[in-house]
Amino acid sequence: MRARVMDKAHWLALIDRLRADFDEVIAPFAGRGRDTYFDRVTDANRARVPLHVPNPYYPPKRYVLPPIERLLQIHLNSTPRIQAAVDAPRRAIVGIRSCDTAGIDHLDRFYLGRDFRDGYYAAHRQNLFLVNVVCTDPEVDIDDDCFCMCADTGPAAREHFDLQVMDLGDELLVVAGSVTGEALFADPIFRKGTPAHLARRRDILAHVRTRFKVSTSWYWSTVKAITLGEVADSTWERIGNRCLECGGCSYMCPTCTCFTVTERRLGPDDFERVRIWDACALGGFTRMAGGFNPRRAAHDRRNRRFFRKLAHYFIQRELSVACVGCGRCVEVCHGDIGMPQVVEIVRRTTAESAHAARA
Amino acid sequence: MQPVPDNIYLPQIAILDRVVEEIAEVKTFYWHFEDPEAQAAFKRFLPGQFAQVSIFGVGEFPASLPPSPTEADLFFTVRKVGSVTAALHALNPGDRFGVRGPYGNGFPMRDYSGRNLLFVAGGIGLIPLRSCLNYALDNRDRYGMIQLFYGARGLKDLMYLGALREWEMARGFECHLTVDRADDQWTGNVGVVSSLFKKPGVTVPVANTTAFVCGPPIMFRFVIRDLIEMGFKDQDIVSTLERYMKCGVGKCGHCCIGLAYVCADGPVFTYGQIKHLGEVI
Repeated sequence: MRARVMDKAHWLALIDRLRADFDEVIAPFAGRGRDTYFDRVTDANRARVPLHVPNPYYPPKRYVLPPIERLLQIHLNSTPRIQAAVDAPRRAIVGIRSCDTAGIDHLDRFYLGRDFRDGYYAAHRQNLFLVNVVCTDPEVDIDDDCFCMCADTGPAAREHFDLQVMDLGDELLVVAGSVTGEALFADPIFRKGTPAHLARRRDILAHVRTRFKVSTSWYWSTVKAITLGEVADSTWERIGNRCLECGGCSYMCPTCTCFTVTERRLGPDDFERVRIWDACALGGFTRMAGGFNPRRAAHDRRNRRFFRKLAHYFIQRELSVACVGCGRCVEVCHGDIGMPQVVEIVRRTTAESAHAARA
Repeated sequence: MQPVPDNIYLPQIAILDRVVEEIAEVKTFYWHFEDPEAQAAFKRFLPGQFAQVSIFGVGEFPASLPPSPTEADLFFTVRKVGSVTAALHALNPGDRFGVRGPYGNGFPMRDYSGRNLLFVAGGIGLIPLRSCLNYALDNRDRYGMIQLFYGARGLKDLMYLGALREWEMARGFECHLTVDRADDQWTGNVGVVSSLFKKPGVTVPVANTTAFVCGPPIMFRFVIRDLIEMGFKDQDIVSTLERYMKCGVGKCGHCCIGLAYVCADGPVFTYGQIKHLGEVI
């Protein structure tokens, strides 16, 4: 990997350079309080693109997997006319956090891997340029709910970005993670770094790693318990009984992939077939035509999501855990069963029952 | 906007040739692709695979492929059960709809070479087994004894009867029928399908036999219990599952049960696999 150094004062110059190179540039912006959101960078807001910002409540998943996406446009006639096209502008996200970078990598493995390659996803992804910013300000960047340290995705992503920017104080250290990222180093705002810059990077990361707050998620004993079927039904029920079946965790999750497909009328003879994000917590998710629902027991359905994310088979199949430690599910869940809580409940109850069995 | 190359969600246009009424609410739809190349590519399907059928403007659903790839015709047999299947039932010959596929793993027919094949079907559960059965009959010398035990609620609910009688005469396989409730015209067996196993004159070989079971959940549970009692091993009992599916290609997540995406890893599973998937049937 190649690295360069730039003055912090040139941050805006980097953003303008990206705006010149891409159809649109997306960045996190600060709203009220700690509310932040991804939005398009415009002439009006370009100077407000922050380097340090709490990670937005909504993940950047929508830039590769839109919440509603047209798959087909259908014109009905004696011979139906079916058109398929994808709207995939050349887009850069500047300020994507390390956890979300890992989220997009997980989506890549799911949508582009295995037997079938999703052409819509591929088009969005191919045109996407990621400028990752390392979370180095413990007060602003790191929330109470962040646990990327446990998910091994942060605070500094090791791969899957095109550029990575890290705040060294007056200067920014910029690492290229792809050939297109490295090509930007020809811009005169970049200069060569020194070993002192790399030493500073190490020191900052070592410090930041000690500044994480309350959430932890020690997955592996839970992965083992789920994989070996050691989790008691009563534990799943306990978790399931706290679920309000709102589906929020799936919609907020940077790695959840499920969608439903439906047809919508555009005109007398015109329709579109769209896919829409879906959530396995919702009752109709497995209900078949005619009304039979094989996944009837509520805790079956409610815990489906954790099984899918934590069974070793799937981790191996996608070569990454479908949890990146962003903490959004902790924030969104009214029942207080985000990923860290579930991991903790399973870990404790299986350890307690193992202890009781030994006694 | 840009085109989507190798679009896994894009159906090919199919033309409906003719419709045959099977039983109440169930019809067989004979069709062909508008594009001969699509037809040729599709015809390489395996017994047990399925396709996604589109009625444009209404939606899409997964449907078993009842024909064997050794047959000339392509057709679906579909029960009218929801909005899209109802729209298919409303089509007339000459109408166009969409098909994409074939999808799924299909039956590993080569693994059954030299074995006896025991088909146990309940009601419309015969639809997904028909392909495998007819494929075996078209390659009759590769397999040992071939038996079909088929049950339905009444005489009016037994499917494919004409074809079954014809095959029974001509092609060396045993066909045993039963109904839950007999009417005046019925002279055959009355009772659940597994009651046929113990009927006088019926011998079900257990050694070197693969059993194919498909039917409603309650029938499935009882037949499995009986087969296990008779000495069948879990890996020698095979079934094909159906689930709510939106994509058919392992992406939408609806059919994912336990560790498997039914569309991509199935729909054909051994009972040994089904037991370990969790939350099935």
